[in-house]
Amino acid sequence: MTRTLLITGAGGVGKTTVAAAIAVRAARHGMRTLVVTVDPARRLASALGVQDLGNEPQPHAEEDNLWAAMLDAGASWRAVAMRHAEPEVASRLADNEFFRAASEHFPASQSYAAADQAATFVQAQAWDLVVVDTPPAGGGIDFFTAPAQMADLVGGRLLRWITGGPLPGRRAFFNLAARPVLRMADAILGSDLLERVAEFLLDLRTTYDGVSQRGREIERVLRSSAIFVVTTSDPAPVREAIRFYRELPGLATSPAAVIFNRILPEHWAEATAPSGTSPALEQNLARWSAETVRQRDTREEFSSRYGAHVATIPWSTSPPTDLDGLAALLDEARELPWQEVGIS
Amino acid sequence: MLDKRLLLVSGKGGVGKSAVAAGLSLLAQRTGLRVLAMEMASPGGLSAHFGTGPLAFEPREVRPGLHAMQMVRSDALLEYLALQVGIRGMTRLGPLARAFDALATAAPGIREIITIGKALWEVREDRWDVVIADAPPTGQIGSYLRAPLTISELVPTGRIRSQTDYMSATLADPEMTQLILLYLAEELPVTETEETMRWLSKEHLVTPPTLVANRVLEELSDPDTPPGPVGEAAQLHRSLWAEQQEWLDRLRPDHVLPYYHGMFTPGEVAAHLADQLEAIA
Repeated sequence: MTRTLLITGAGGVGKTTVAAAIAVRAARHGMRTLVVTVDPARRLASALGVQDLGNEPQPHAEEDNLWAAMLDAGASWRAVAMRHAEPEVASRLADNEFFRAASEHFPASQSYAAADQAATFVQAQAWDLVVVDTPPAGGGIDFFTAPAQMADLVGGRLLRWITGGPLPGRRAFFNLAARPVLRMADAILGSDLLERVAEFLLDLRTTYDGVSQRGREIERVLRSSAIFVVTTSDPAPVREAIRFYRELPGLATSPAAVIFNRILPEHWAEATAPSGTSPALEQNLARWSAETVRQRDTREEFSSRYGAHVATIPWSTSPPTDLDGLAALLDEARELPWQEVGIS
Repeated sequence: MLDKRLLLVSGKGGVGKSAVAAGLSLLAQRTGLRVLAMEMASPGGLSAHFGTGPLAFEPREVRPGLHAMQMVRSDALLEYLALQVGIRGMTRLGPLARAFDALATAAPGIREIITIGKALWEVREDRWDVVIADAPPTGQIGSYLRAPLTISELVPTGRIRSQTDYMSATLADPEMTQLILLYLAEELPVTETEETMRWLSKEHLVTPPTLVANRVLEELSDPDTPPGPVGEAAQLHRSLWAEQQEWLDRLRPDHVLPYYHGMFTPGEVAAHLADQLEAIA
């Protein structure tokens, strides 16, 4: 049975590093662990040995039990849709400028591809633990909503919007296209634009059964995963973290923990400089002490308002550059729910 | 910067775009300009800093001379249809609006053109001296800046097409538009900003952006490290400072904004930033 741990949160909070650190710990604990990352910083990528790799899991050169894979940032649901399309439809889709463009621009596209890849790794049952660093799009929520959004798009909801009625067949659509409202749309947008869009949507719809079935599989994997939300104490990422407590129900389990990263030592909160300290150092302590208080208040408010289990990781001044550094990052971590990872 | 008509504040997620856009807006208002502040992509970003509660599509005066609004695409579309196309009284679910909705999801550029088009249309109005946008993050800003061109490639004729040239010209005009790229002195924001710069210099859609580094620490003048929290805090500060300097050397900012310690409310942050920005803008 493969456990899945999804590490979510806003961009820039150290999510990728935390995911990697947890994976290294788990591997060293004897679990066959795959860490799946998105867009890691260069030094972290080289620590994990993924800087030149595609999205196939690679065993780490120096660490038994550790595999790493990088989600392909360029991957989109284009490939997924193509996989479920009949050959004739696939070639027509490949030529359609709207399909090409839409598959690059559909907002949940990267999240969908990421969720699809991650689910594939989990379903392979080759690991004890799969740790997924989720893409930051939509604050990370997109990762959970993408399968449904994808099924919606493919399912022709848009097409029904265009026609305002039940989903038409191909011939019926072209009759509808003669309706005044669509002629007006054409006048604004340019000739036959809607028609070309609808054609692509009709083709896309033929992939619906395959895509929606796959979507349900992905959702099952997401629902049975444990979730850690990573944030710093800054207002913007905290706002994103809150969304996981407000908006996730129904899509996944409630987060097992919110991990506040870059935490200052608690005892700084009450610290004052002894007499004789230079004004520069005294002011410096006062500033960081104020920051410590602000961090503590933020955590307390989060915990009391959302009933969240709060864990912390201290502020490490130099980013880890190797596996030992990654593992050491969690030496001083507090309250991390290791049981969710399968480490007691 | 405040002599421009449109300021777009972009940057990687989490670098403080909303705070800086709000600070710029407060500063512009203080100098007597008629300002429109626009939440383009992240609802609630500006309103938190103005302390006003949620904003609406209709601009609301949040300080004397400073109006603020939230971009709502469906409203922008209806306004576009009413004002630019002459179709009035359309409801949200009218067939044409539905068709546009569908297009906005399926066809690239439509969503973005409605948004950037709204900002550019407000620039054209004489109601405002300057429009300040809390713009989409660097990961998406390209598709917004390029939207007029994307549309003109996809749509050979029609009324939207006829306005894209004006939009492209306004964006490219150094007298009119200034893009501000905000970043932090850390690896990922720096590399993402560099990528954006490379893309921008290839596409020539706007004049070179102004680079602003946010949350930059001051150098600690005292080299001592006494025992206890005084020395611990000094050490942390010095190593963070050194790390920041490394990234600032690699990507040199035109301006820097300071790190605010212990500051909690978005209102406080925006007010301090307004003071700080006075020297820059």
